[in-house]
Amino acid sequence: MHNLTQEQLADKIGVSRQTVIAIESDKYLPSLGLAFKMARLFKVKVENIFIENEN
Amino acid sequence: MGVDLVTIKNNRYTELYILDIMLTVCYIIIMNRKKYKQLRVIVAFFVAAIVALAVMRNSYLLAVTGISTGMVFMVLVRAKAKIRTDEREATVQEKAARMTYAIFAPTIGIAAFLLLLPSKGGIDVFSKGEWLFTESLGMVFAYLTLFLIAVYAISYHFFNRKFGGGGNEE
Repeated sequence: MHNLTQEQLADKIGVSRQTVIAIESDKYLPSLGLAFKMARLFKVKVENIFIENEN
Repeated sequence: MGVDLVTIKNNRYTELYILDIMLTVCYIIIMNRKKYKQLRVIVAFFVAAIVALAVMRNSYLLAVTGISTGMVFMVLVRAKAKIRTDEREATVQEKAARMTYAIFAPTIGIAAFLLLLPSKGGIDVFSKGEWLFTESLGMVFAYLTLFLIAVYAISYHFFNRKFGGGGNEE
C-alpha cells in the first residue's frame, strides 16, 4: 500500500531494520512513541496497526 | 617568542580545521546507521592494529593515543551524524546489563566469602605460605562486590528519581 521497504520504513521512523523485522515478526513490542510515529506515518490509528493480544 | 605563539595558535586552528573537514566528510558519507556500524568496525580494526603495533614496540603511549583517538573520533562522528540508539537495542542492552549484574554480583560475592572463610576461620594452612594470597584475593573480591552494589544503588536512585519515583508520592 505504501510501497516501503523495511530499510525505508526503518529510516523514516528512526530505528534499525532489525527493529522493523522484530516488530513484524512479533518478537519486539515497540514503545508508545514509536507506535504513534508509525501510525502517523501510515495515517491510521495505532490500534489499526497493533492488535491487543492477551497472550 | 611572539611569533612562536602565533605559529602554535595557527597550527592548532589548522588541526581543528582538518578535524572538522574529516567529520564533515564522515557526516556526508554516514547517512545511515548501517554505514556508521561499518565505520565502527573499520575504526576498531585500526585501533586494534595500533595497539598490536604498540605491544610489539613496547610503547604504552602509542597504545593510549591510538585507543583515545579512536574513542574521540567515534564520539564526534556519532554526535555529528546524529546517530541515536535504537530503542530495541537499548532494551537489549538493559536486559543484558541486568543479567550481567544478577550473575556477576552473587558470583563475586560468594567467591569473596569462600576465599576469606579459611583464613578468618582460624585454619592455619590458609594463613601462611603459598595460600596467603587467598585472603588478599578475597579482600579484593569483597571490595569489588561492595563497589558494584554501590554503583548499582546510586544509578538506581538516580534513574528512579529521573523517571518520577523518589518519595514525592501522596
